[in-house]
Amino acid sequence: MIRCRLESLGSSLPREGLLRWGSLWHATRAGSECLARSHYRRSDIEVLINTGVHRDGHVCEPAIASHVLRALDINVEFRGARTLGFDLLNGGCGMLNAAHVLATMMQAGEIRVGMLVSSEANSDAEPDPAFPYAASGAAAVLDISPFPHEGFGAFAFRTHDEHAELYTSVVSLARPRGRIVLRRSAELEERYLACAGEVVEEVLAREELGRERIDHVIPAQLSPAFVARLGAAIGLPREKVVDLSDRLPDTLSTSVFLALHESRRSGRVRAGERVLLLACGSGLSVGAALYQV
Amino acid sequence: MLTGETRARIESLGVYLPPRRMTTEELLARCRRRPRLDLERITGTHERRVAEGEHAVDLAVAAARRALAMSRYRAEDLELLICASISKHHRDDEFTFEPATSVLVRKAIGARRAICFDVVNACAGMWSAVRVLQSYLRAGAIRCGMVVSGEQNMPLAWSATREIRHSLDRQLAALTLGDCGAAAILDRAADRRHGFHYLELVTGARHNGYCTSHPSTRGPGGVLLTRAVGLQRKGAEHFPYYFKEAVHASGWTMADLDHVIPHQVSPRAIARGVREVSRFMGRRLPRYFLCCAEQYGNTTTTSHFLALHEFMLRGAIQPGHNLLFVSGASGIVITHATYTMDELPERYRAAQPEAGR
Repeated sequence: MIRCRLESLGSSLPREGLLRWGSLWHATRAGSECLARSHYRRSDIEVLINTGVHRDGHVCEPAIASHVLRALDINVEFRGARTLGFDLLNGGCGMLNAAHVLATMMQAGEIRVGMLVSSEANSDAEPDPAFPYAASGAAAVLDISPFPHEGFGAFAFRTHDEHAELYTSVVSLARPRGRIVLRRSAELEERYLACAGEVVEEVLAREELGRERIDHVIPAQLSPAFVARLGAAIGLPREKVVDLSDRLPDTLSTSVFLALHESRRSGRVRAGERVLLLACGSGLSVGAALYQV
Repeated sequence: MLTGETRARIESLGVYLPPRRMTTEELLARCRRRPRLDLERITGTHERRVAEGEHAVDLAVAAARRALAMSRYRAEDLELLICASISKHHRDDEFTFEPATSVLVRKAIGARRAICFDVVNACAGMWSAVRVLQSYLRAGAIRCGMVVSGEQNMPLAWSATREIRHSLDRQLAALTLGDCGAAAILDRAADRRHGFHYLELVTGARHNGYCTSHPSTRGPGGVLLTRAVGLQRKGAEHFPYYFKEAVHASGWTMADLDHVIPHQVSPRAIARGVREVSRFMGRRLPRYFLCCAEQYGNTTTTSHFLALHEFMLRGAIQPGHNLLFVSGASGIVITHATYTMDELPERYRAAQPEAGR
């Protein structure tokens, strides 16, 4: 079986400062860092998928992926090497969905190198102080793994659309320039925890693995309470769950990949270890993927 | 990119057109400052459909239900559901980013096994989604899936009627839009002669400023700002090359083509595209190009599937026909797909109550 691996990772962490960074700045910074670490050239990227939800100016056309391609100078002209860029939207699960799409394109023999980019920023003129997500960016270059066990294994996604109303994020167009309106139910994290177990079960069953074979769980860093309770919810020891919530606030779509990048950088996750990535998002959707570093 | 062993085919199609028709003259009459030009003569668009009391997600759900009604698959058989709408107006004066529209369609039709997410790529959204779904079919990850889009574009036209200030205003193109929902169920073609032979999308991101949509800076609602001449010039510069490449990569010559279905921007824009391809090919082309934009306007992502619906019902598209789909979308994303029809046109006509009109 062809496995797809994360050849390179890049991040643009939440930052304090006088200037507010927009989502395109974060995406460009994460993408540039990722490409600088990659052994591939920009022209090698065949598909770029952007999965950010909150974008500069609340733009809905063209795809933000085209802005990212342009900012990163990836095959921007209609000659020579070609790249397809598009956006994939699925809230907090978007990056995992996009990794699945790229892995599937590689398994179908259609592409060899792809790139994921995601970034978040509230671009309201006067952002709501209660807006829960810190602005950030994450990027990854994916390719076909040269080793049989390295890279992504099974993916599993579950959507509980009966809970779709628990979390909505809209841009109100009642006033000029639009304004983000988030509606989050207080029971949201409880629902995520309730749904996480079955996704983990499914992904382990597909790989025919026992829970003891998982070295680390890297979840979306929704809140310290969520991360603390996750181990019990999915039947794994709490110490296997990577908790970076003291350093990394919730960053919505970028959260899992930022946590993975930080874990790799700090040396907590080492080569040869098996990681379970767990994303939660609106829908209500929960996604899991096994990844062997 | 030539597709390999497995070919994706359109197993079923569903198109929903809201019943309310609005002529270009009616729309122009609503403008606070009416442009001093004959928009109908310039674009060739006579009328469009307008969703009243319905929103984008309702159009998508109606189309998805129609596609399921003539499919051999049930909603619970769908393993992947991708929604490609640009206009995510699920309530008045709101643009919904979360949950994904595909979640709402999934819930409405009961596709409880389907993985779902939205793919957004301006007017190339449905083709980008077909490209993704084709990969899942070819990798053997799924047996069937649905691509759906509900485009409620008229809020952009209402903004234009309020905000257009002169005859060369960048919002003028919004007056050519129309509403429509479209859905297609795709599976693997049993016969290698049928289905998609070639499907290629290319983004030329240097040219992504020709057509943008975002909330208005002057009032409520969203706006569509287009530099139509520049967009068409860039498209004309590059798309004939891809057009020829798609024909060659499919193992065809121009003589093998039965129909070309372009993005239904407007009849005049399509005529200009035909001239560009003819110039590139060095001779006048037969009447390959199908156009229904004079009736429905530019329905953005759903445009090709609406044209497929229309010309299957009119009897122009028959089993065995070789089709070339051509699209130029904001980004700029150039799309070409070659497709050989199976028995879908016959099934489609039999399933539609208005067939044979």
